[in-house]
Amino acid sequence: MSTAAISTSRPATTRWERAVPVYGFPVINKFFLVLSGLVMVAIILTAYRELAGLGPVSGMNDAYGWGIWKTFNVMVLTALGSGAFAVGIAAWVFRRKRLHALMRMALLTSFLAYACGLLLLGIDAGRPWNFYWIVFPWRWNMHSPLAEVAICMSIYAMIPLAVENIPLVLERLWYFDSRLRPGVERIEKRLHYFFPWIIAAAYLLPGMHQSSLGALMLLAGERVHPLWQSPWLPVLYLGAATFMSFGCVAGTTMLCCLVWKRAMDMEVLDEAARITAWLIFGWLALRSLDILFRGALLTALRFDRFAGVFWLEMLLIALGGFLLRRSVRTHDPQPMFIGYILSSAGGMIYRFAPTTLAFRPNPEALYFPATIEILVSLGFISLGVAGFLIAVKRLAILPAPLSEWHDMASYFRFRRPYIRWTGYFKHGHFGEDETEAAGD
Amino acid sequence: MSITRRQLISGVAKAGVPAAVAVTVGTDVLHANEHVAVPNAAVGLLYDATICIGCKACVAACAEANDTPPDTRGDTLHQAPSDLNDLTRNVIKLYKPEDGSAFSFVKRQCMHCLDPACAAGCPFQALHKDPQSGIVTWSAEECIGCRYCTITCPYHIPRFQWAGFNPRVTKCELCGHRLAKGLKPGCTSVCPTGAVMFGPRSVLLLEARDRIKKSPGRYYQDRIYGETDNGGTQALYLSRVPFEKLGLPELGPESVPARTLRWQRRFYQYFALPAVLYAGLVQVIRKSLKGHEEEAHQREKQTGLRAQL
Repeated sequence: MSTAAISTSRPATTRWERAVPVYGFPVINKFFLVLSGLVMVAIILTAYRELAGLGPVSGMNDAYGWGIWKTFNVMVLTALGSGAFAVGIAAWVFRRKRLHALMRMALLTSFLAYACGLLLLGIDAGRPWNFYWIVFPWRWNMHSPLAEVAICMSIYAMIPLAVENIPLVLERLWYFDSRLRPGVERIEKRLHYFFPWIIAAAYLLPGMHQSSLGALMLLAGERVHPLWQSPWLPVLYLGAATFMSFGCVAGTTMLCCLVWKRAMDMEVLDEAARITAWLIFGWLALRSLDILFRGALLTALRFDRFAGVFWLEMLLIALGGFLLRRSVRTHDPQPMFIGYILSSAGGMIYRFAPTTLAFRPNPEALYFPATIEILVSLGFISLGVAGFLIAVKRLAILPAPLSEWHDMASYFRFRRPYIRWTGYFKHGHFGEDETEAAGD
Repeated sequence: MSITRRQLISGVAKAGVPAAVAVTVGTDVLHANEHVAVPNAAVGLLYDATICIGCKACVAACAEANDTPPDTRGDTLHQAPSDLNDLTRNVIKLYKPEDGSAFSFVKRQCMHCLDPACAAGCPFQALHKDPQSGIVTWSAEECIGCRYCTITCPYHIPRFQWAGFNPRVTKCELCGHRLAKGLKPGCTSVCPTGAVMFGPRSVLLLEARDRIKKSPGRYYQDRIYGETDNGGTQALYLSRVPFEKLGLPELGPESVPARTLRWQRRFYQYFALPAVLYAGLVQVIRKSLKGHEEEAHQREKQTGLRAQL
């Protein structure tokens, strides 16, 4: 691949200045059809689950009341989807200005991860029709971590996160038809007025529910292995979400750049990697100190599956952090990408462990997800990926140098003049209405 | 000199910071050594494992009293559930060590904790502790079927119905419908040896202490399980063998929610700390947004392309 070429031949020349849609690639290809197939299978199986109940479709049992729908699709994947929270705080609160280039990517991945997670949460609930209590605050059990998660997560995904994504769609409409422009501009103006409140909620709410996800397992007490069970679980869960989501946002952006042959802006990526590395080292320090002071270190030296999971997770995260730190110095995207993958994988194991891998309700109990359970889980992940592919190709999400925008405009004008619905060409890339101009 | 609106708002917000910190740190929702309040008319069960003969009459009586079909899923003939499940609120189990030392039966049902972990975790209060009788009941109208209660209960009592589109959570509710008619719970009404008794918790405690006093050394540690364990429970146990062997873990005198959710409860007390954080965030982001918008419009002028915010 051209990763090395990109880093050596034009080290700081590429500057991401504008989000540009991925053009010239059709939305529907073989991979997309496979994803759609998986989504269809998941929808059919979901219908079966609603009729048959949870027992026949899942490996859940009395001892393991929670399966991968909650413990993986919600607990792990929403951590990967906390980009709008972690990258957003770095960009808006700590004013790392260059990170704004990654914000659209962060908003999109977050929205998809949360939306798919919440859908599966509704399927996982045994009596979902009773969710209507969510609109009666006096029925909330405000001291319950699960109430906090359920209420806060739903509100976050439906209001601040969705609203933050509206400008991306509005921009598309603005370019689509000049008759829509006054309306779009009016809505944008109104949105911008509320934006400080919306954005602030988009940082407060995930901070609350990502930590409450950790607090969920506090009540399980000693049934969670001492390497994971800790009063610091909420903080560690939140911390893991921050570096995992940086990995998800920056890693996905890099992957997109590789797949669709976009140039990488190493200044932005270095900054993201530097922050991620510090988050990782801080997190590792907190986790090690916590284990040390609780006296749980000896259990990590035993030769059992818990110690194995623990060392795997710690090594992956540490190695990822080390690679990221090194890549910041060498401006090399390859170890950076691997660093993101390793640290996020380690973080995923950490978020997965307390509920499943390190959860020991009793010695005989076993849980392994059933085939249907895995297919549904996979189907809802596919839904998110398919949504991502559509959005990236139809909306301006992926950051690119300014020249990419002009390239796109000429591509649509000269190579695809018959495509009306792409919008980015009909009214010109400067936003002028070319049909009117031609009539003058 | 008049106060502008901005000054007024920021003044109020600044005053909110110490107030919120005070609420968060100073909240005494739960003290380490504070005893959980016992409901006025707390009723409960006293189970003496040393006189239980394991006849399982209580298991059948429980199913009859609660109108549940007999659970014959084990051998399709006998009602012999091996553990609590979606049809079984009450079960008799046997602890028999390999080395031939003392064996014991144990009756498992809801402990009706004074500070129940299931109710502490239940998002919409489907599991609810009655403030008078202290009975922990489940309500189908509020339950969303999240199964958090099966994770949180330290005694692993609530059981979820895995089959069917309208699942329920099954647990002992101390036969509230029979109590209302002046009857005793199903299990206590049939016990041939009086191994399980029903009554006000205070009376049961006196009775248990009396038994310990009458036969010293008969009971494990001369102790009543549930007097203080897990903050106190309304089902009390006497046993010859260690309680842990009977599935009653040593949880200490502090209840599980009190021990684990102390900071969670403080942080969300009156929503004070989140509210102050929110106000601060709004201020910071307003400033960032202004700078960001200015930059974007500047770039718009330079490049001729519409600003992307």
